[in-house]
Amino acid sequence: MSAVAVEGVWKYYGDYPALRDISLEAAEGTCLALIGRNGAGKTTLLRAIAGFSTAQRGKIRICGKEPREAETRSRLGFIGHGISVYDELSALENLTLFGKLYGLADPKKSANEWLERTGLERVRNGLVREFSRGMRQRLAVARAFLHEPSVMLLDEPFTALDDRAIAVLQRLLREALAAGKTIVMSTHQLKEALELASHVALLNRGQLAFHGARTQEMVDDPGYVYARYGEGA
Amino acid sequence: MLASLFDASVWTALIAAAVAAVASILFLRTRNFLYDSLALSATETGLVLIAAGIVAGAIAGHAGAGLWWTWDARVTTALVGFLLYAPYLMLRGAIEEPTRRAASAAVVSIFAIFDLPVIALAVNWWLARRAAPVSVDASWMILPLALLGAGFTWIRLRQEQRRRARDAERRTAQEI
Amino acid sequence: MKYLRQVATIAVKDVRAELRTKEAINASLAFALMILLLFSYTFNPAQEMMREVSGGLLWIVFAFAGTLTLNRSFARELPNDCLDALIAAPIPGSALFLGKCFASFVLVLAVELVSLPVFGIFYNVHWTAQLPALFGVLLLGTWALTVIGTIFSALTVNIKLREVMLPMLTYPILMPALMAAMRLTTLLVTGQPIADDDMAWLKMLIGFDVIFTAVSLALVETVLVG
Repeated sequence: MSAVAVEGVWKYYGDYPALRDISLEAAEGTCLALIGRNGAGKTTLLRAIAGFSTAQRGKIRICGKEPREAETRSRLGFIGHGISVYDELSALENLTLFGKLYGLADPKKSANEWLERTGLERVRNGLVREFSRGMRQRLAVARAFLHEPSVMLLDEPFTALDDRAIAVLQRLLREALAAGKTIVMSTHQLKEALELASHVALLNRGQLAFHGARTQEMVDDPGYVYARYGEGA
Repeated sequence: MLASLFDASVWTALIAAAVAAVASILFLRTRNFLYDSLALSATETGLVLIAAGIVAGAIAGHAGAGLWWTWDARVTTALVGFLLYAPYLMLRGAIEEPTRRAASAAVVSIFAIFDLPVIALAVNWWLARRAAPVSVDASWMILPLALLGAGFTWIRLRQEQRRRARDAERRTAQEI
Repeated sequence: MKYLRQVATIAVKDVRAELRTKEAINASLAFALMILLLFSYTFNPAQEMMREVSGGLLWIVFAFAGTLTLNRSFARELPNDCLDALIAAPIPGSALFLGKCFASFVLVLAVELVSLPVFGIFYNVHWTAQLPALFGVLLLGTWALTVIGTIFSALTVNIKLREVMLPMLTYPILMPALMAAMRLTTLLVTGQPIADDDMAWLKMLIGFDVIFTAVSLALVETVLVG
C-alpha cells in the first residue's frame, strides 16, 4: 500500500477538466517532485490529494484511506501558498492552537520544541504581524511539521523563502525523509526540489506527461524533463 | 379574477420552490449539473410567478380597499418569499466557479424551503388579525399556471444546458 | 469530550483574536449607538408610542450591528490562508462551525448588553422589570442571528461582494425569528410578562433555533469543502 495513491482522477471546474485521468503513486519514504508550467494543474492536484476539494472521477487514497477521514488528516501536513498562521496571535499561541486541534498530548511543549527547531524560540511571544517575511515562513514550516505528519504535501514551498528559511526547510525535509516520511512537492525551484526528490512527475495541461524515478540527467540539467517530455518535445 | 390569479400564482410558486429544493438536494448527492440547472430554472420561474402574483394581489387589494398595499397576510407572505429567493440569483451571479456556485446555491435553496413555512406562520400570526382573508376558489387556475411554469422552466433548462456546453468549449479553447 | 474541547479551542481562538484587534467589536458598538441616537430623532422619546416600537428598534440595532461581527467570523480566516489549515486539521466541520458560532454569540451579546442600558437611558424606558425572561429572549434571538450569520459567513467567505451578500441572505431567512424576538422584547422591556397569546412567538423562536441549527450542522461540510 503506497503512501499516496492517485487513480484515474478527473477534476472539473464546471464542465472544464482541470485534471485529466491522473494516476500516480508515491511509496512511503519517497519524495515526489511535481513539476509543470503555471496552470498545468499542480496546485489543483495537490489540493485534491489534501482533501480541500473533491475529484469528480477517480480515487485518491492516503495510506489506504480517504483524504477527508480524521485519521488521514492527523497524519497529513500541508504547506500552501499562504503561511496559515494568525497575525494577531503570537508564534507560541499559533503553534499551541494547532497542537490542540491535532490532539497532541502536550501542545505547549511540542510548540516550544518546534519553535526551537525553526530558530524562532527568541520571538515565541511576539505577534506574527511583527515578524519579518523569513520568520513568518519558518513559522509556517513549524506549523506544518508540528504534529509529525507522515505525509507532507507542499505547494511551491521554496518560492519567496529567504536563504535561512530555505535552509531550515531543506534540513527538516531531509530529516523527514530519513525517518521514512513521504513528501509530495510541487515546485518551480527545480534545483532545490530535484536535490531532495527520488521521483519526478510532470504535469502538462492537466495530464501526466511523465512519472518516474529521478535520474542523474535531471539533477545535472533541471530543464531536462521539460525538454524531453514537455510541450514541444 | 385578479385575486384568483394571485392565489394560483402563489401555489404554483410554492411548487416551483419545492422542485428547486429537491433538485438542490439531488445535486448535492449526485453532483450532476442537470439538477443545478433545474434548480436555477425552477427558482427563476417561481420568482416570476410570485412577482406577478404580488402585483395581481396589490391591484386586487386596491380595487377592493382603495389601498395599494393592504397588508393582507398572504400578499405579504408572498413578498417575503420573493425577498427570500431573490438573493439566490444574486449569489449565483457573485460566484464564478461553477461547482462552488452550484453547491452554494443548493445550500441557500435548502435553507429557504425550510424557512417558507415558518415565514408563512409568522406573517399570518402578525397580520391575520387585521383583515379577514377573502376566500377565493382559484383551483381552476392552478393547473394552467403550473403548465405554463413548467414550460418556462423547461425552456430555461435547455438554455442553461446550452450555456454550460458553450462555457466548457470556451474554457477548452482558451488553452490553445 | 474531545469534541467539546475542539469547539472550545476554536471559540477561544476567535474571541482572543477579536479582543486583540477589536476591529469588529468597535465598529459594531459604534454602529449600535449611532442607530439608537438616530432613531431618537424620529421618535420623541417621551411619547407613549415609544414603548410599542422598543422591541423592533432594539432588534434592528442588534441585527444590523451584529452583522458587522458575523461578517468577520469566517472572513478573519482569509488573510494568510488560515481557513485551509482549519479545514485540513482533524476536527469535524461541525466543531469548527460551532466554535465560531459560540465566539460570535459572545461578541454579539456583549454589544447587546451595552446597547440595552444605553437604550434605557436615551428613551427613558425601565427595562429591568422582566429581566430573566428578557435575557432568555435575548439569548434565543441572538443564537438565531448567530447561527444563520455564521453559516452564511462561511458560504460567502470567498465570493465577491461578500459584505453585500451576507446581509442579503441572512435577513430574509431571519425574519420569523426577528419578528418573534421583536414582539417578545417589546412586551418584556415594557414590563409585561409573556401571556398565552404570545407564547406562540416564544415557541416559534425556539423552534427556529432548533431547526436551523440542525440544518446548518447538516450542511456545514458542504459549505466548507464544497
